[in-house]
Amino acid sequence: MANYFNTLPLREQLNQLGVAEFMDSSAFADGVNALKGKKIVIVGCGAQGLNQGLNLRDSGLDVSYALRKEAIEQKRDSWKNATDNNFKVGTYEELIPTADLVINLTPDKQHTSVINAVMPLMKEGATLSYSHGFNIVEEGMQIRKDITVIMVAPKCPGSEVRAEYLRGFGVPTLIAVHPENDPQGKGWAEAKAYCVGTGGHRAGVLKSSFVAEVKSDLMGEQTILCGLLQTGSILSFDKMIEKGIEPGYAAKLVQYGVEVITEALKHGGVSGMFDRLSNPAKVKAFQLSEELKDIMRPLFQKHQDDIMSGEFSKTMMEDWANGDANLLKWRAETGETAFEKTPAGDVKIDDQEYFDNYLLMSAFVRAGVELAFETMVEAGIKPESAYYESLHETPLIANTIARKKLFEMNRVISDTAEYGCYLFDQACKPLLKDFMAKVDTDVVGKNFNEGKSGAVDNITLVQVNDILRNHQVEIVGKELRKAMTAMKAIKTI
Amino acid sequence: MPVRVQVKDLHVSYPDQVVLEQLNWEMAAGDQVVIAGRSGSGKTSLAKAIAGILQGTGQIDITFDPSSSFVRKAIYISNWYQFTNLEGDRNFYYQQRYNRHQGHDTWTVKAELLHFAQKEGLDFADIEQRIQDFGFENVQESQLIELSSGEHKKLQLIKGLWQKPQLLLIDEPYTGLDKNSRQVLNQWLDELAAEGISMMLISNDQQLPKCINRYIQLHDGQIEEVSSMEAIRQDAKRVKKELPAFLKEKPETSYSHVAELKHIYIRYGEKEVLKDVSWSVKVGEKWLLQGPNGSGKSTLLSLINGDHPQSYGLDIHLFGQARGSGESIWDIKEKIGMISPEMHWYFDQQATVWHTLASGFYDSIGWFIDVKFQEKKQMEELMAFFDLTEHKDQLLHTLPLGKQRLAMLARSIIKNPPLLVLDEPCQGLDTVQASYFNDVVDELCQYGKTLIYVGHYESQLPSCLEHKIVLERGEVLAIEHKVENVL
Repeated sequence: MANYFNTLPLREQLNQLGVAEFMDSSAFADGVNALKGKKIVIVGCGAQGLNQGLNLRDSGLDVSYALRKEAIEQKRDSWKNATDNNFKVGTYEELIPTADLVINLTPDKQHTSVINAVMPLMKEGATLSYSHGFNIVEEGMQIRKDITVIMVAPKCPGSEVRAEYLRGFGVPTLIAVHPENDPQGKGWAEAKAYCVGTGGHRAGVLKSSFVAEVKSDLMGEQTILCGLLQTGSILSFDKMIEKGIEPGYAAKLVQYGVEVITEALKHGGVSGMFDRLSNPAKVKAFQLSEELKDIMRPLFQKHQDDIMSGEFSKTMMEDWANGDANLLKWRAETGETAFEKTPAGDVKIDDQEYFDNYLLMSAFVRAGVELAFETMVEAGIKPESAYYESLHETPLIANTIARKKLFEMNRVISDTAEYGCYLFDQACKPLLKDFMAKVDTDVVGKNFNEGKSGAVDNITLVQVNDILRNHQVEIVGKELRKAMTAMKAIKTI
Repeated sequence: MPVRVQVKDLHVSYPDQVVLEQLNWEMAAGDQVVIAGRSGSGKTSLAKAIAGILQGTGQIDITFDPSSSFVRKAIYISNWYQFTNLEGDRNFYYQQRYNRHQGHDTWTVKAELLHFAQKEGLDFADIEQRIQDFGFENVQESQLIELSSGEHKKLQLIKGLWQKPQLLLIDEPYTGLDKNSRQVLNQWLDELAAEGISMMLISNDQQLPKCINRYIQLHDGQIEEVSSMEAIRQDAKRVKKELPAFLKEKPETSYSHVAELKHIYIRYGEKEVLKDVSWSVKVGEKWLLQGPNGSGKSTLLSLINGDHPQSYGLDIHLFGQARGSGESIWDIKEKIGMISPEMHWYFDQQATVWHTLASGFYDSIGWFIDVKFQEKKQMEELMAFFDLTEHKDQLLHTLPLGKQRLAMLARSIIKNPPLLVLDEPCQGLDTVQASYFNDVVDELCQYGKTLIYVGHYESQLPSCLEHKIVLERGEVLAIEHKVENVL
């Protein structure tokens, strides 16, 4: 199978990369009607599979689960998940031929084998749905021409998809139709109906394409979302230990700080996050982040280039074929870092202290968000997509780090994100060696404002604010956040 | 010599309100105190200030008995339980009990108790008898998220009383407890008093431990002593207001039954929560649902509310339609006005009173799109009816409990639904509030509504109830019809 994106002429590559439209809620007026009475068969019953299925059924749709024979015979967790909730469960052979819509919610790594097993069983004119476009775009899976191929990708973990639905909300979702596979022109209607069935239409929906989703998703997850948050957390912790900060305090500051700091990002963008700092601290964080942007820009560009050319997915698939040798090695290394092994101390740190004593993280986050966004937009991805895959998702990953630290964060994110995260982290740490050598505890571990007068130069402050607020990620973000009316606070400890 | 407490010039205020002002009070050795009175009068603030959890100005001295074998501290047991999932997060939703799946989200009761014993240096053997007395032994393998509100209260009491502090402050000890458990608790408290522990209970309950020998109430930020519970100051019975006209319209009902459940079993692995339950509720009927803590009441209601994933595939008809025949849970919820302790406590912390009411049109936990002119008018009428207008922009969870409950009731009836499901709606209300609340329910029910009501206090029920279903250990113990007075 050839990389789909690389088979396209440049004109078409740019065309597909540039799909991004924030959808008006009136676009969902038809509710779930396009899928009403149709047979929906979900392949895979893990966190996404189960929770999306529960939501779809609670929306009045007919849902059952197709599992591999061994999963059924051995009564694995996926089988238990489905049967405990009174779902109909059957083998591929039993259920796929009856399906009007097959939803593939297995891990990326299994897509090729799952699709190869499922496709011959699918009835003429049925629809196949993905929640990630990797298999189509990077692996170049060819789907039978009579089949409609759509994507519905909730931008949250499965448990959140369920929780928000039952609260009467939803989670932000991205939908797409594969242009090579929409023979009846029903793709958008079904993707929208599916999205409504999971509650996504209440929280903001981005109309995207398979190509735009994959190229931006890979870039976001490996650079700012997982990669830089990991690198920044490890380097910050090590610096504090080196400078004699109490380890329990350092561990707590790093583990929870990233969540508290990015919570401000979620509500007010980068400038909202920086507004939580005092004026002198803001100027300092600005200078540090400018420096970080200069140092890391080539690395961000390399990641984007490798994603666009297919080099990244090729290397990763080689590692899959090699029994995940690199992935497992890097995973083990993450588990062995001092940060991972030091439990958060039983100290109370209030909200503002996280900002004041951990200014370096605000600098990391600004640098990472802006770099990822800029690099994506330069590569032809629309600002709306770039926003979703950079700034928007950062607090979600930060939330996972606060709950589980890095090792477990890497285990719960997708296969592609975990691999890309390690790749970035491996390259970024040496790159920041000189930078970190100059850093002291005033920006990480102790209150930056202590012993300072609080005075700043008027013109400097005006210029800093101006640059922060007029960045394109801020302008796009303000519009998109307005549309996400129901955006709710992630609860912190 | 038991503990003594001296409060001098205590002042507690919140940004918009003074709660306690220049309060002076003394609790002498051997005093066993009840604080009663109106919701919102400052009872909780006083207890928390004494326990050292709430900072006020002034002075609080607690003189512990150095010779006593009991722990030299004051322990406050709050009026609501809190627990976290395994990741330390508290962001639950009220239907989570039914959506826990294979994962272990929270600790089991047993693990929680063992962990607590280790942390506080307690011996598990000391508590085993109490656990049995409370009928709590068979939930020890349950996860915390699976517990009902009454079972959470028991867990909270067990943990607090197990420690045997010299001073015990319990805020609403009886919330959610069934009749038998209330008696067990009172006996336990009497035994502790006899051993030399001092206590201060916040309660408006009439059935108190025998040891209670002092009754106080708070009025205008000051303490007043009274001779007995009967002498506690009560608000004047509320003047009845005219029910808003939109609530007098009989809701459309094109079906004969709101719910028909036949031979229902609900299982979690080996554990059977409902066993062969059959129940029919006809349009217009008024039902009381009773049963001890953990008997399956909330699970039964979750089948009617569309909240239980196992509903599909069972023989359930709701509003004339077979469950799982293409209806969505929102189609079901649209016809139900619901209130329950869990829904209240897991409600959106960012919702104002206004948001709370508006979300009733969407059956969401605080979320709504827009509110039409007619709907706004209904909300205003209803807020005026419940005296909530002045609070409309305040966050729901910052109001006194009684006000919160009224807002939740207003939310549940804002769309004039054909069915009301009120699961312990009077928890935390004082006597006057509860009887006012039940009067409103009675009046509402005159206009063609169907009612399912859960309440542990037989003195606090609406009078319109005419059918009763009793559950015990997941089975139907009795169904009684058209009883003159089911109470």
